[in-house]
Amino acid sequence: MVPAASVMVEAFRDNTGSLSVSNLTTLVDSSQPYLHDYISSLELSAAAAALAGVIGLVGTVALVGSPSPLLRRLVSSACGVLANTGGVPLAFAFIGSIGNTGVVTDLLSHLGFNPYDHGFTLYSASGLVIVYLYFLLPLTVLLMLPPVEALRREWREAAATLGADSRTFWAKIGLPVLAPPFVATLMVLFMDAFAAYATAEVLTTGVVPLVPLAIGQLLQGNVVAGEVHLGDALGFGMVVVVVVAGVLYVVVQRRTSRWLR
Amino acid sequence: MTRNRTFRYLTLAILGLYVIIPMYASVQFSLESGYHSKLSLNAYTSALAQPGLGASVLTSLEVSFGAVAATLLLLVPTIIFVHLRLPGVRTVLEAVSLLPLGIPAIVTVVGTLGVYDKAPDWFINSPMILALLYVVLALPYSYRAIDSGVRSIDLHTLVEAGRSMGARWGVLFRRVLFPNIRSGVLAAAFLTLALSLGEFTFASLILPSTPTFPVWLASVVTTSTYYAVALSVVALIVTWGLLVVISVIGSGRPLGASGTPVAGNEEQLLSSAPALQPAGSVALPLEA
Repeated sequence: MVPAASVMVEAFRDNTGSLSVSNLTTLVDSSQPYLHDYISSLELSAAAAALAGVIGLVGTVALVGSPSPLLRRLVSSACGVLANTGGVPLAFAFIGSIGNTGVVTDLLSHLGFNPYDHGFTLYSASGLVIVYLYFLLPLTVLLMLPPVEALRREWREAAATLGADSRTFWAKIGLPVLAPPFVATLMVLFMDAFAAYATAEVLTTGVVPLVPLAIGQLLQGNVVAGEVHLGDALGFGMVVVVVVAGVLYVVVQRRTSRWLR
Repeated sequence: MTRNRTFRYLTLAILGLYVIIPMYASVQFSLESGYHSKLSLNAYTSALAQPGLGASVLTSLEVSFGAVAATLLLLVPTIIFVHLRLPGVRTVLEAVSLLPLGIPAIVTVVGTLGVYDKAPDWFINSPMILALLYVVLALPYSYRAIDSGVRSIDLHTLVEAGRSMGARWGVLFRRVLFPNIRSGVLAAAFLTLALSLGEFTFASLILPSTPTFPVWLASVVTTSTYYAVALSVVALIVTWGLLVVISVIGSGRPLGASGTPVAGNEEQLLSSAPALQPAGSVALPLEA
């Protein structure tokens, strides 16, 4: 049984151990041509996280406000399932819907508005954001549900007694209290979007420059000696980004516990 | 008040539509299969006849059940042992079990390929390697599920009672411990299964020679988009089914260790380690 535990730990050492091998010089040297990948990866994940966060928060508030406990339970279990949907099947489901011959695209062009005539394409960064939202939104609801539910009714009533209207309540109490968990949620969403590979690979087949796709292409190509390290370096950069987001998450999470317990 | 309510239901309705439309549309898409306005199951029947489907499904099943078996064989004894003899190590194990959540899958692939370069060929090209990776990938969820199962029973008393009545470890485990932590173990098994069946990143980059179902599915689109969409519908339904099973197992669980009833699987997983647990693990992003 002790070996069992050590095998488990060893598995991690294998996976991450080689990361430390990639020396910093390769990273600095090779980062030049791949800087663009990082920028577009960061932009895409940030946009997806921000959109999912804001829309998800509004959705969560609406959900918590609804009087039916059945609806609430139903939605939160559905979110649990949907947040785990992703990968290849999801990409194809979206191709079937708003791909260039998709059902929704067809319908819209019958109505006289073909999104593909207006510069939209599913196989682009904006298309990817739409697909990512499909699992990021439910994730937002799952993560924000506890803090929003913890916004006590009493606070609301106290605020109303003191003459605050709904807008004042949200500006002075609701949003400040929700801010830390919201930022933490944004970090999780960001990391999730940043690491996503399957959906992007299937949908764009490398048209959109993203770090995971760049690494994938390096790995699939005939790897020359120098390029092995390039992959390592790119991976190392991703870990740095994730660690930064993770640290921010932990810091913000600490603040959360002050009010929401 | 009415304005509030309108806003509320409007928001929920829009979000609901966003969830439903892609699913409805892809079913519609696969049924039309190119002959507009004439519905048929053509895409499904032809897709099922595509070469390689059977083999890829078999590979997927082999890998997934391998991962489930390895997970259970590795984790259940380890966790029980750690609870009994090394309670101090628990925090470390918990932290380690969360690592795969933070590290992007693609980075793990890079690391793995670098390390396994030195491994013998038969190992590199066998589905075994995938199964082992999935054990690691599923660790944040499987560890938590089994751990909270073990936590919710009075392990020491059960073991002492069993031992003092002369039960050997095998008997003790089979007749006393396992029945008590069964729901946690089952949840871990289904979580690992669901995750392994849908995984794409590892499978496509590490084992391109023997495609698993998702990898094969991604390649079938070159033959026909309709086939790919049709099979995706099937795959999504299967995955959702598995996830529903998981949440049913989770909610059927007895009270948590802290004595508070837990509603769903997500909360169950979350509640076990409040301090270390990043909220991200509420969900298992199967494959983003």
